[in-house]
Amino acid sequence: MSEQQSIPRPSGPSGPREGRPSGPGGGGPPRRGKRQYFRKKKVCRFCVEKVDFIDYKKVEMLQPFVQERGKILPRRMTGTCSKHQRWLGVAIKRARNIALLPFATEL
Amino acid sequence: MADRLYDLIFICMPTTPEEEVAKIVGTLEQTASEHGGKVEKVEKWGTRKMAYRVAKQREGLYVYLALHSTEGNLIKELERRLKVTDAVIKYMTVRLDEEIKRQQKLVAHREHRARRRPRKAAGPGAGPAPAAASGAGPAPAPAAEQAPAS
Repeated sequence: MSEQQSIPRPSGPSGPREGRPSGPGGGGPPRRGKRQYFRKKKVCRFCVEKVDFIDYKKVEMLQPFVQERGKILPRRMTGTCSKHQRWLGVAIKRARNIALLPFATEL
Repeated sequence: MADRLYDLIFICMPTTPEEEVAKIVGTLEQTASEHGGKVEKVEKWGTRKMAYRVAKQREGLYVYLALHSTEGNLIKELERRLKVTDAVIKYMTVRLDEEIKRQQKLVAHREHRARRRPRKAAGPGAGPAPAAASGAGPAPAPAAEQAPAS
């Protein structure tokens, strides 16, 4: 529909507009047309640090990949590679089980 | 049987006295040794805030154990004991040996590749490419290459 409207998108979680239908994961190529913004290519943080095992006990390490309400952030927002996102999901779910991370933040 | 590695975390009521916690850990260790296991590490994380309420508590006393076991029944027994103990409000056991095995495999794979790559680059190139990659200058680079060979 109106591509132009969705371009100046605020960073961070912001409702249904976030679900971009297609495009290569993470920072894809800039759309054709006016260059209104510049998106940095996202790299997997775990690949950069060569992490082989994501420990569910290190909450401060998992925290950046969880929304305030406790949801796991999607790959397209964090730039994590699929392998590490899988491990991350397992780690976050384990941490939830032992009350280190919330399933959902209560109000 | 296969030696397996587990993580066991349990949470006590925040009001539990020190001795009570020590007693619980003691019984767990004893049970482990009776069933052909061994508690490798005990960590008391102290009272920390839980992400959600458990047993109407917002805080809990976390205790972490790392243990080896050759018998699956040991975990069953330990969990039964934790369930029966009143002071324990939550517990979780995670089997970790398979993940650690996978991790070691990845590390070995990476080291293998790291060992192979410089030799490959030095073979056909034999000139500026590896020197430029090492960056520090011509003098230290050959020394570093010779060290593993000798």
